[in-house]
Amino acid sequence: MLDIIKLGVFLLVLAGVGSFGVSYVNSMAEPLIAEQALKAKISSFKEVYPLGEEVKDESAQYMKSDTNPLIKEINVAYISGAPAGVIYLVEPKGYGGPLRIMAGFDIAQKKLTAIKVLSQTETPGLGAKAKDSFFQDRYQDKSSAVALEVTKTPPVKDNQIQAITASTITSKAVTSGVNAARENFMSNFVK
Amino acid sequence: MSLMNEFTKGIVKENPLFRLVLGTCPALAITTSVENGLGMGAAFTAVLLASNIVISAMRKIIPDSVRIPAYIVIIASFVTMIDLAMHAYTPDLYKSLGIFIPLIVVNCIILGRAEAFANRNSVVPSVFDALGMGLGFTLALVLVCTFREVLGAGTFLGHTILPESKAAILMILPPGGFVTLGCMLGFLNKVQSKTA
Repeated sequence: MLDIIKLGVFLLVLAGVGSFGVSYVNSMAEPLIAEQALKAKISSFKEVYPLGEEVKDESAQYMKSDTNPLIKEINVAYISGAPAGVIYLVEPKGYGGPLRIMAGFDIAQKKLTAIKVLSQTETPGLGAKAKDSFFQDRYQDKSSAVALEVTKTPPVKDNQIQAITASTITSKAVTSGVNAARENFMSNFVK
Repeated sequence: MSLMNEFTKGIVKENPLFRLVLGTCPALAITTSVENGLGMGAAFTAVLLASNIVISAMRKIIPDSVRIPAYIVIIASFVTMIDLAMHAYTPDLYKSLGIFIPLIVVNCIILGRAEAFANRNSVVPSVFDALGMGLGFTLALVLVCTFREVLGAGTFLGHTILPESKAAILMILPPGGFVTLGCMLGFLNKVQSKTA
């Protein structure tokens, strides 16, 4: 009996010392990690909607119970105090897990400005190409009036996006996320 | 055994990946680019070094009956620290290694060295053992990575060396990992059977 208590106390002390070490490292790493996340977010705002002077998270105002569940965040970009663009964070499900995508829209021109794949767990060499600029560029400046569709051949219509070779599931996932944002954008911001 | 011996045995004679065939899970999963291999090797070596030092220093205090849980607690603490540090200081590498950093906790090489070496030797030989094993594992990873990155993506450390049309995507997909590792193990066995 005494032995069991001794062993338990030993492990308890060991785990305590271990946790102390971990929390010490955490206290140093945490602010850096948070800062990086914030920096990454601001720079991706700039990438998908370069004109915005100030971006505010207005998810609370625009996210309702019937909002498409793919939409995770709605940020509004302001130019001299007036809303000019909308930046969505969407999370469609890809082939290997959720894709986090940011999509920017311009209110005046009713178009998609750009998209950026923030994180993905798709197959390297195939679906992972979704984060490459050649694919993201295919979404640039598309009109927000009609839903985008994926084709396997070079696009003939304006609303068509050519899929990544051998990665149709990933391409469709990205497009479904962008379409969810597009629909929300049209109903909330374009009168 | 001399200290030099403790150091070199991990690199060739008892290479953890090629000779002991331990740690194959990260070796198959993250060896898609040389950068990943170097990052994984460095993180692994840091954890192995720290855990070998602590375990060998505490080997007379740790009660025999709970040594495995004690090792796991020690290793998990170090892995969590490395995980946080990599997240803070090398975010890109942290992203590409993903789940395999926390999984170093259950890496059988580290637990194996704790049980087979650090548990029975003093601190100094354990340091050499850890450095040798860490370097051996890193070299093995980088070797597998080199084949896979060059043949699969046509690049080396991100520099293009083969035209994209010549790259065989299979090599950076999971089957390519099995094929590469299998061929290497077979080749090394052949070499060893000739020299032995």
